[in-house]
Amino acid sequence: MIEIKNVTKKYGDKKAIDDVSFTIEDGDIFAFIGHNGAGKTTLIKAIMGIHDFDEGDILINGISIKSDPIACKRIMAFVPDNPETYEHMKAIDYINFICDMYDVDTETRTNNIHKYAKLFEMEDKLNDTIDSYSHGMKQKIVLIAALAHNPEILIMDEPFVGLDPKAVFDIKEVLNEMVKEGKTIFYSTHILDVAEKLCSKVGIIKNGKLIKVGKMKDIKGDKSLEKVFIELEEEK
Amino acid sequence: MKKIISLIKACMTSDMGIFKINLRNRSKMSKILIIVFLCFALMTGIGSYVCAVLEQLKPFNMQYVCLSIFVLFISFMTLIEGIYKSGNLLYNCKDDQLLFSLPIDKKAILFIRMFKFYVFELAFNSLFLIPLIVCYAFYTKVGISFYITSIFMILLLPIIPIVLSCIIGTIISWLSSKFRFKNIAQTIIAVIFILGVFYLSFNVDKLLSKLATNAKSINDIITKLYYPAGAYANLAIDFKIQDLLLFVFINVIVAIMSIFLLSKVYFKINSKLQSVKVGKKKKVKSSVIKNRGQIKALIRKEFNIFFQTPVFIINAGMGIVLFLIFVFMIMFKYNSVLSALASSGVDIAYVSNNIALYIVMIIAIGSFTTSITSSMISLEGRKYTILRSLPISSKRILLSKVYTASLLTIPAFLVGDILLFIKFKPSFIIMILLLILTVLMPLVSHFTGLIINLKFPKLEYDSPTEVVKQSVSAFASVMLDFIILIALVYGLMKLMNHNILLILSLLTLLFTIIDIILYIYLAKRGTKIFNELTV
Repeated sequence: MIEIKNVTKKYGDKKAIDDVSFTIEDGDIFAFIGHNGAGKTTLIKAIMGIHDFDEGDILINGISIKSDPIACKRIMAFVPDNPETYEHMKAIDYINFICDMYDVDTETRTNNIHKYAKLFEMEDKLNDTIDSYSHGMKQKIVLIAALAHNPEILIMDEPFVGLDPKAVFDIKEVLNEMVKEGKTIFYSTHILDVAEKLCSKVGIIKNGKLIKVGKMKDIKGDKSLEKVFIELEEEK
Repeated sequence: MKKIISLIKACMTSDMGIFKINLRNRSKMSKILIIVFLCFALMTGIGSYVCAVLEQLKPFNMQYVCLSIFVLFISFMTLIEGIYKSGNLLYNCKDDQLLFSLPIDKKAILFIRMFKFYVFELAFNSLFLIPLIVCYAFYTKVGISFYITSIFMILLLPIIPIVLSCIIGTIISWLSSKFRFKNIAQTIIAVIFILGVFYLSFNVDKLLSKLATNAKSINDIITKLYYPAGAYANLAIDFKIQDLLLFVFINVIVAIMSIFLLSKVYFKINSKLQSVKVGKKKKVKSSVIKNRGQIKALIRKEFNIFFQTPVFIINAGMGIVLFLIFVFMIMFKYNSVLSALASSGVDIAYVSNNIALYIVMIIAIGSFTTSITSSMISLEGRKYTILRSLPISSKRILLSKVYTASLLTIPAFLVGDILLFIKFKPSFIIMILLLILTVLMPLVSHFTGLIINLKFPKLEYDSPTEVVKQSVSAFASVMLDFIILIALVYGLMKLMNHNILLILSLLTLLFTIIDIILYIYLAKRGTKIFNELTV
């Protein structure tokens, strides 16, 4: 469970996140949407403990990211918007490195690496250095590394960018499987039709303020998510 | 022309961001003041050395020789550094895709790359040239023409070494582009070139004697050996506007010609370097997947970055290699060194009595000329986000960098120690103290390098060379190491012929205290700074 309580993050005098509060329960897939520069990545980085924030608190399964960031990070996994990795490493070495950071035992990591590498059709490419990969392949490696340690909470910043349709389908399957196991997924996206079909909850952020949050069906009603989003964006 | 100016503005803005002075921002001002202080300290040190040389030359009215020798030295340093920097500065940069997609000439892109190189060398050379000019003016009666000449010299002297190193860098890049493991190939070829230049420079006796037989003066020899060095001295003694214009013309022509010629192959080599050959498709063996633990995994990651960044290897490795060469020379050429010292009037007994302090100096030279950690934070670049998202403390991340640097340097220094112990057979207690100092001194350099990099991070860069060699952090770290080294050597020289055991014990205590203070600072304040970094 992720509890975001009155979080404010300032860059100088400008509030990138302004008093944002909401909760994501176990088993939720939460879509976080907003225009470019609305504050999505800033909030995601605050949840992951990558950036500090000025006010409020974020609780991960009841633990504050401020007071015990290591304990919080141990149960989360992060997929950034740009698959920045250690380019000169072999993919398998990179995944092993991430697993080492999470203290994943050899058996679990072996099973998960084989499982997800097979799913994303990367099994015979893990021995190559990452700098030889396309953007989509790098994204797949980051995903495999994120999933290899069985995270309870998966945080993703625009995860579908640069992926082929088969990979997008496979990720959706993986996410559905995780939700069935009671895990929590939080992701930001601009692909609203995927979010509409996949997510149980949605939050819309505009200029750092959360303007709508709730169950997907309550937020969109009879309209499409895209229409709701555009209407909200056009409101002053 | 408008395009070129826009390009220069865009490329330089990100690099020089730290120097945007904001009087309201205290932290930024204090960082600038640190840099200014370090520059001032270095320039004062260089200035006092120049004065000592000029003092010796003044009775013979040969102060101009100092100008030539310093220009020769600075140009040689620029060339050596340039050989291993230029390949990475010109080729395979992160903004290649952007620049090559724009409707601009390849020559303009090459010009931008060389211009960035030039601006850095201009700043670096100025640190040596300004004290030289000031001291020369103090010791010699100079007119306004000397200052005009000197301004031109400051601006133009970096050009020829930069052009030469860019040509050599292009040859290295072209050769390495033919290999599958381009980074390793680039490192090896660059090392061969640098050692070749060193070998040639140590074996110029025949050339010098040939030049001397036909030369009218010392300056005539220097002019024949390296034209800009002699030209500066000639203009300082006897200013002629046509000679100055000729000098400007030669440098400008060399710069234009080099851009024109290198641009012919620039795009081709760059494309070849960016193509990655993929190995045969094969599934991962289960034995490869294993748990190593956090610290071991972090160190492995640091080693991977180190060995895949040629400029990083050469920058750190050259210090270690030169240290070992120095130790081997002492091992096998000690008697000839001693007889040379004796013939120049040095008391051999004095050297032998203080040999332990000379060993400390050798270790200090190795320790404080091998800067590794000063770019380790910057090299994380945008991957900083990955590290921060992982369930590992910042303290462990930072310490893993110090461990890596220590694993790269300390074993080599310990080998040097053992060789020197075999040669000089010091007492057991002195050996123990020297071994402890061999661990403590590099640690000071690694801690300070990392702290400086935390204060001056550069997480956005186009090429690793920019952070390893041309960043404020690398510069400040080298300056600080240099100041520590000078202070240590000066202190040791003053303490010669005193109780060696007491001096070594005090030094051990001093470095232990410094290391503990730096460790505490890194663990407390350093982790806080690390956590507050933004990409």
